[in-house]
Amino acid sequence: MQIRDYILRRLMVLPVLIIGVSIIVFALTRVGGSPIGVYLQTGMTQEEVTELEERFHLDDPLPVQYVYWAGGVLTGELGWSGVAAAPVTDVFLPKLAATMELAISSALVAVVLGVALGTFAGARRNRLPDHLTRVFSISGAAMPLFWFAILLLIVFWVYLGWFPIGRSDPNIYARIDHPTNLYTIDSLLAGDFGAFGDALWHLVLPAATLGYGATAIIARMMRSSLVEELQEDYVDAARAKGLPERLVLRRHARRNALIPTVTVIGLSFGFLLQGSVVAEIIFRWPGLGRWMADSVLRGDQATIMAYVLFTSVLFLVVNLAVDVIYAYLDRRVVLGE
Amino acid sequence: MSLIDGIGPEAAPRARPAVASVKDLRVHFRSKVGVVHAVDGVSFDIGDGETLGLVGETGCGKSVTARSFLDLVPMPPGIKAGGAIEFRPHHTCPSCDGAGCETCDDSGRQAEPCDSCNGGGCEGCGHTGQRTIDLLEISEKDLQTIRGNRIAMIFQDPGKALNPALPIGEQVAEVFFQHRADDLLADAGASDGTEALGGALIQRKAGLKTSRIEDFLLSLPPLRGQRTKLMAAVQTRVAEALAETQIPNPRKVMDRYPHELSGGMRQRVMIAQAIACDPDLLIADEPTTALDVTVQARILELIRDLQQRHRTSVLYISHDLSLVKEVCDRVAVMYAGRIVESAATSSIFTDPHHPYTQGLLAAIPSANHERGRLVAIPGNVPELIDPPAACRFAGRCPYEAPACTAHDPLATTITANHEVACFIHHAPAGDEERPTWDRKVR
Repeated sequence: MQIRDYILRRLMVLPVLIIGVSIIVFALTRVGGSPIGVYLQTGMTQEEVTELEERFHLDDPLPVQYVYWAGGVLTGELGWSGVAAAPVTDVFLPKLAATMELAISSALVAVVLGVALGTFAGARRNRLPDHLTRVFSISGAAMPLFWFAILLLIVFWVYLGWFPIGRSDPNIYARIDHPTNLYTIDSLLAGDFGAFGDALWHLVLPAATLGYGATAIIARMMRSSLVEELQEDYVDAARAKGLPERLVLRRHARRNALIPTVTVIGLSFGFLLQGSVVAEIIFRWPGLGRWMADSVLRGDQATIMAYVLFTSVLFLVVNLAVDVIYAYLDRRVVLGE
Repeated sequence: MSLIDGIGPEAAPRARPAVASVKDLRVHFRSKVGVVHAVDGVSFDIGDGETLGLVGETGCGKSVTARSFLDLVPMPPGIKAGGAIEFRPHHTCPSCDGAGCETCDDSGRQAEPCDSCNGGGCEGCGHTGQRTIDLLEISEKDLQTIRGNRIAMIFQDPGKALNPALPIGEQVAEVFFQHRADDLLADAGASDGTEALGGALIQRKAGLKTSRIEDFLLSLPPLRGQRTKLMAAVQTRVAEALAETQIPNPRKVMDRYPHELSGGMRQRVMIAQAIACDPDLLIADEPTTALDVTVQARILELIRDLQQRHRTSVLYISHDLSLVKEVCDRVAVMYAGRIVESAATSSIFTDPHHPYTQGLLAAIPSANHERGRLVAIPGNVPELIDPPAACRFAGRCPYEAPACTAHDPLATTITANHEVACFIHHAPAGDEERPTWDRKVR
C-alpha cells in the first residue's frame, strides 16, 4: 500500500468521526438542561418565553433539535450567543484567529525547541546538558500553568516591563488592514515590519507560558526515545560504516526517535488548546478562552457547543496529520493492519 | 555436513605479515560491584587473506574483542585498560596487479609501506616496514576513514542492524558517499568542479555534508541535473554491490525497507554494505546466529566465496564450533576474557590440548551420543570482577592442580602454530604441583 492510499483511507473515515463527535458534543451539552436561561431577561412574560423557545426550536424533541443544530453548523449558523449578545459565528471567527495565532506559535516553539533540546540531551546522556534539560523539563511539566503565567506576568510585565500584555498596540492595530485576523500574517501582508515586530512582541509572554509545558513534554519524550534508539544495533552499524557521529545522529537515530515523539506532539496540541483558556485570561489575550469561560459559567450552550465541536474537529485533524507523519517516518505502519 | 569444503584444514601456515595483530588487549567494564575484566590480555594475529575463527561461549569476551577493532564498545561503562590492535592496510600488488606473483607471495596483495620509513623498517612500524595503525590510539576522525572502508563489520541480527526507517538503497549508498565521494563525482562527471557554487555544493553532497538548505538549492533547476547524475552514479554502485551478494533484482530491492525483506536477504544487504569498499578485514560477529539453518549455509557460502574473490581477511566470531570448522583457517578459543588455545582448524578439532577445548568439543552433539542426554562442562563461567592471577578454568577443570589457582598460565607454543595456555604444557613460576593428564579430580 502506498502512503497516498493510506492518507485517502484515513480521510474517508474523518467525516464519520466528526458526525460521531458532534452527536456526543450535543448530547453532553444538553445534559445540562435547557439553554433557555441565557436568553431570558427580567420581566419576560410566559408568552414571550414560549415564543423564544419556539424560535430556538427548544420545544422539539432532542433528535430534531440536533438536526436543526447540525444543519446550522453546516451552513455556518452556530446560534445566538447570549453572553456576547451577537450571533456565535460573528464573534467566533475573529476570536478564533487570536486563539489559533497563540496556539500555533506556541506549538511551533514547543516542537522546535522540544525536539532540539531532547536531541541535545539524549545525545549527551547523563552529562551536564542532559541534567540541565531534565531540570528544565520536569519544572515545565510540574508547574501549574496559571502559576507560571502569573510569575512571568509579574517579572516581565510588572517589574521589568520588557514585554507587553494584550494582543497589540491600538495605534499599530489601526495602522493596517486585518484580512486574516492573524496579526503576524496581516502585518506581513501589509509589508509593515514594525507591526510584525509588535505582534511578535505581544506574543512572547503568552506563547512562552503556553509553550513551556508542551516543550517540556516533547523534550522528555525525544530524549528518552533517542537514548533508546542510540542503543540499537543499527546505530553501531551506521558507525561501523564510517559515518561521523553527526550523521549517525541526524540520518539514523533522530529519525527513529521522532516516531514516538510525533504522537506526543499531536497530543500536546490538545494541551495547548486547553491551556490557552488560562493564558488568554491572564495575559488579556482577546481569544476564545475568556469568552468560553464566561459562557460556561452562564450556561451559554450555543457558544459551548461551537467551541467544543471546533476543538474536537481540530484535534481529529491534528491526529490525522500525526498519523500521516508517523506513516512517513515508519513505513511499517502503512504495511500493517 | 560439509557444506563448504576445500579451505581451512589444508591451508598452509602463512609466513607473510598479519593484516591485524591484537596485542595483550584489555577491555574492562565498570560496574556497581567492581571492574569486570571482560577481555583480559588477548593476543592474536590475523594473517592476510586468512579466516580466523574466534570461538567461545556467551560472555567470554569475543564480541567485545571484535567491537574493539572499530571502537564500538560503549565507553563508559567500558574502559580501554591496555594493549594494542595493530592494523596494516593492504593494497593490490603493483607488480602483478592482483594476479599473484613472487613479490606478493601469490596473494596478489601487498601491505602498504610505512609512512615514516617507506618500507625500511623503523620504531613506528615495529621494524616491519609496513604502515601500522594502532586502532586503539588513533583519533575518532581517522577511525572513521577506516570503518566501513578498510575494516568492515557484519552484525549478528541483520533485522536490527539495518535502520527500519530508511530504504535499503539509501543505507548502502552511505558507504559510498562516505568513502568513495571522489569516485562518485568522477562517475557523475562533476569531479573538476567547474561551476564555483554548483561544484562546491555537489562535492559536499557527495560527501553527505549538505544541510537542508543546500539540499534545497540542489533540487532547483540549475543544479538539479548535476544532482541527478550524482544520484544515478550512486545507484549504479549500490546495485552493483547488491548484485555482488547475489541479491536478485537489486534495483528493486534498493527501494524496499528492511522489514520487507527476509532475514537471509537482509544479511546479504549487510554483507553487500560491508564489502562495498573492498575492505582488508571483515569482522563477522555471529553472522548466521539469527538465521534459519538452510539460510545459514547459503550465507556462509557467500562469505567464503566473497572472501576468496576479494582476498579479504575475516575475523569470524561464533559460538558454533561446527560452523567454525567449515569456514575458518585458524581457530582461537576464548574463555572468560582470555584465549586458551589457538591453532589451525584441523589441529584444534583433531588434537585439542586445552581441557576447556576438549570439553567444548565433547559437548558437540553427534549421532554417537546417547539419546536424551547432552554433554556439558560442569560448573559455571566465573565472575570476571577483579579476577585473581590464576587459570580462569580452574574450578571447572577436570585436571585442576594447586598450580592452577596460584599462577596465571601463559600461552605456550607446543607445535608449530599451536598455542595453549595451560600448566599441563608449561611449568608454573612457583613450585606448586602441576596438573597432568593422568590425574583427574572431577
